Amino acid sequence: MRVPLSWLREYVRVEADAARIADALSISAAEVNTIERRGPADTSLYVVGRVLGAGKHPNADRLQLCQVDVGEGKPAQIVCGAWNFSAGATVAVAKAGATLPNGLTLERRELRGEMSEGMILAEDEIELGADHTGIIVLADGLEPGSPLANAVPLVEEILDIDPTGNRVDLLSVYGCAREVAALFDGELLPMPGTDPAQDGEEKVEIEIDDLDGCPRYVGRLFRDVTIAESPLWLKARLRDAGVRSISNVVDVTNYVMLALGNPLHAFDYDRLEGGRIVVRRARKGEELRTLDGTQRALEKSDLLIADAKRAVALAGIMGGEETEVSDTTTAILLEAANFEPVGILRSSERLALRTEGSNRWEKGVDPYLAGPAATLATQLLVELAGARWPGAADVQGELPQPSVIPLRPERTNEVLGLDVAPERQEEILRRVGFEREKAGFRVPTWRARDVTREIDLIEEVARFQLSEIPFTLPRREAMFGRLTRWQRLRRVVEDVLVGCGWSEAYTPSLVPAGPIVLPEPISAELGAMRETLLPSLVEAARANRAVDVENVALFEIAHAYPERGREPWHVAGIVDGGFAEAKWAVEQIYAAAGIEPAYERASEPFLHPGKAARTAEGWVGELHPAELEGTWGAFELDLDALAAAAGETVRFEEVSPYPELRQDLAFVVDEDASAAELLAAVRAAGGELLRGVEVFDEYRGAQTGEGKRSLAFRLAFGSTERTLTDEDVAPLRAAIADAVGKQFGAVLRA
Amino acid sequence: MEAEALQKEALAAAEAAQTLAQLDEARVQYLGRSSELKLALREVRDRETGMALNAVREALEAAFAARQSELERAELSARLTTERVDVTLPAELLGDVRVRPRGSLHPTTLIRRDVEDAFIGLGYEIREDREIETVEYNFDKLAFPAWHPARSSRDTFYVDADTVLRTETSPSQIHILEEKPPPVYMVSIGRVYRRDAITPTRFPIFHQFEGLAIDRGITMADLKGTLLHVMRALFGEEREVRFRTHYFPFTEPSMEPDVSCGVCGGSGCPTCKWSGWIEIGGSGMVDPQVLANVGLDPGEWGGFAFGLGLERAAQLRYDIPTIRPFWENDLRFVRQFR
Repeated sequence: MRVPLSWLREYVRVEADAARIADALSISAAEVNTIERRGPADTSLYVVGRVLGAGKHPNADRLQLCQVDVGEGKPAQIVCGAWNFSAGATVAVAKAGATLPNGLTLERRELRGEMSEGMILAEDEIELGADHTGIIVLADGLEPGSPLANAVPLVEEILDIDPTGNRVDLLSVYGCAREVAALFDGELLPMPGTDPAQDGEEKVEIEIDDLDGCPRYVGRLFRDVTIAESPLWLKARLRDAGVRSISNVVDVTNYVMLALGNPLHAFDYDRLEGGRIVVRRARKGEELRTLDGTQRALEKSDLLIADAKRAVALAGIMGGEETEVSDTTTAILLEAANFEPVGILRSSERLALRTEGSNRWEKGVDPYLAGPAATLATQLLVELAGARWPGAADVQGELPQPSVIPLRPERTNEVLGLDVAPERQEEILRRVGFEREKAGFRVPTWRARDVTREIDLIEEVARFQLSEIPFTLPRREAMFGRLTRWQRLRRVVEDVLVGCGWSEAYTPSLVPAGPIVLPEPISAELGAMRETLLPSLVEAARANRAVDVENVALFEIAHAYPERGREPWHVAGIVDGGFAEAKWAVEQIYAAAGIEPAYERASEPFLHPGKAARTAEGWVGELHPAELEGTWGAFELDLDALAAAAGETVRFEEVSPYPELRQDLAFVVDEDASAAELLAAVRAAGGELLRGVEVFDEYRGAQTGEGKRSLAFRLAFGSTERTLTDEDVAPLRAAIADAVGKQFGAVLRA
Repeated sequence: MEAEALQKEALAAAEAAQTLAQLDEARVQYLGRSSELKLALREVRDRETGMALNAVREALEAAFAARQSELERAELSARLTTERVDVTLPAELLGDVRVRPRGSLHPTTLIRRDVEDAFIGLGYEIREDREIETVEYNFDKLAFPAWHPARSSRDTFYVDADTVLRTETSPSQIHILEEKPPPVYMVSIGRVYRRDAITPTRFPIFHQFEGLAIDRGITMADLKGTLLHVMRALFGEEREVRFRTHYFPFTEPSMEPDVSCGVCGGSGCPTCKWSGWIEIGGSGMVDPQVLANVGLDPGEWGGFAFGLGLERAAQLRYDIPTIRPFWENDLRFVRQFR
């Protein structure tokens, strides 16, 4: 909502400047996005002028040479390109030295051999309008030389206010004025508008079929209407408020909407069949061509304004083309109604048609506003369109009665954590329209939807006290906070991977395809919830390679969505350099979690068929070369499963004071026997004194023979009682060689 | 030869090729310069024959291309099979593991950890909840009115009529209050979804943290103090906090907290649009209706809630003008953080 400050000040008397008003509104009422200033920075050289003489420029056919009285001893000579005036006209003049809003500074200079000492202004040159077909012709009687700013709204400050959805009352200049009056304790003037005398006795036929959808309809008939351009002040106001000027009648409806917050509509009365209005729901198959030229198929839930025969407007959203006010219109029917919000919202959503009107209706406009809106519009139509007002109707259902809500002042203080005296609370509420009654506070009609409970009244007090509220912390009886086991494991995994040289990625959980599909995605790329993180990381790796980033190692911890109701956390990674790189990282994760995983050969279409392993919690492998150019390792583990399997605590074991005895064993064994199987056999055969064993070498060559390889193990034997000797462990060594030989046909290498 | 028979024969030949070399041979035979088909095409005089022969040519070209990729994939697989390793070997025996300098956590995680630590210090528990949420928990129990625009499929991703991708972490308020009796002090952190078009400053997925305190005698002053503590933990001890009135369905009164601008210290600069303050999220006192919805007596229990965006907080802390780099994962971005 763009609020011109001069308009606001018409309704409220306050000293505060735009910046202070904006600050106060932002804190206590609605955010002010910007304060915009329109017009020249310095207005001292802008004056009213009277054209004393005007004739063709001697050296230019399209220019006029004018003598203009600008209140100085001798008239100013001004060259002008417009022809919509002649001697005697009162005009707007910028004298030499003035700087136009567009930054151009006028100078005394010769134009085609004649001196020009300023400029006779058109609307667009001082940002009052878009018109450049002629200069501004002012009303007669203005004193030449008097400040132009007194005659036209030469400068304006505009507040761009962004009210929250519950404050439809602030989508009007008067509503904002009410708030400003309360904030600065200024005087709020009565709502604008006085009904001129009705002139004639014509019946206006209004019928409401659906009082739920339209609890009120004020219809007023105007005759002898002259459609014309709006006066400059009105055009300027609309322009400053961001609304395009169309004609005096349409401009009046928009002006009243902006001023008071009640959208209006004007029908060409002579085009209403039977001269009557029926408010009803659409019929099956009914259609309407709206003002924007679109033919719209209606549904039974759409609320319509119809005449005796057909739909003439989509209630509250947009009028119909056939009954639109045109240059030849001489009679209009003005609609000042009230519409129920949810229905308007549904229709406007379905038709993807949002208008200034629907934006207000869908938030719930005060049903008592229709009367004042009709009055202000009537006054303006009579004043500006020369109209006569011969008939009116006001049809209404049962309008909601203002409720009275009790307020315990001490409850306010409990909620705020600040003592606000009961008198002060009452004062604040009174200023924003809540009248004290015996049983509590009477809610003003313009806040009826929003304020229904004691807590809502408390908020009204609170928003005026926000900066007074102190900073405290809850006083607690018990206090305990710590990360859960899972949360701690997540941090450990993050830190382990970062330590390994991997960096963290965040990729979208929406992907092109997945088990849970969105019926209305914003794009095909973000069409479904992902089942696995890997494809997103492949994309991230690809993007990094595309910009020549080297040493790519990325991981992510995020939800996967394999099926409805299950959202396990996954940790996944991708690294340049192949299987060993990924497996190293996975080994570190398992080590940190205190789990000894069992790796099994795996087969996945996206993985290298010979370099892929599965564990209980996921997989690790080399990416299939068809997935991404280059050699890449990757893994993905279920972090929830990992947490479930993670060792709870470390069980301490006594450290022996004696050194361990290390021995190496190498076996030649079939390729099919895995290192893990051999390791298990070694362990089983090694008994208690075998403290540790690891594979430290793999070798293939002429000595091992086809289909075989050599695997070397380092054994560590130890005892808590003494230092072991080669003789002590010789039987164990033999037992191990024997077991491995028997189980795997392995031959001990010399 | 009849076009139809020729096509049949050529397709069979493509299918029969077992190596890329064999396939090439067949291709020359049936689609090469001097193939029967090409010769026939050169001789064509009438439109109809030309169309028919071209259709055959196109069908054959497609079939050969398809067979080629099949064979390529098969040959690749055969080659890969010869590279088979013992996957149970320790990583260092499987190939080179490069010594890499330390990596970086993503700024979103850095902020998440600071949030966690700040609230752990205040005695809050941290939780994560489901992202695919019911309309009941995402809207109804949080007292969103029927007309609220967030309920619209314009703004929210619906999975079906009763299910959405959660639009905020606020459903956690309901989950925890249904799980345990108050007092409750918790922060929920996770991904949320809005049906926003992708722009430099918006992405349809982002992370939020949502705080909730439910106890006896909780005040707006407690909320203000808590937010001050957290803002200072996130952005520095010199920061100030103020409230602006706002509207949220599940809090009443509702306020947006602002934090004083870190660039100018509050005197006004382009970052804070000359106001000295920066918008940082939403907050308010838990609406009595929400308490009633989970079976708590609003006369006895009260509390506050607040929600902020992790990315937004990271943008402010590290002075990152757009949201884009948060989801692009360019290592030159991520490696700047530690």
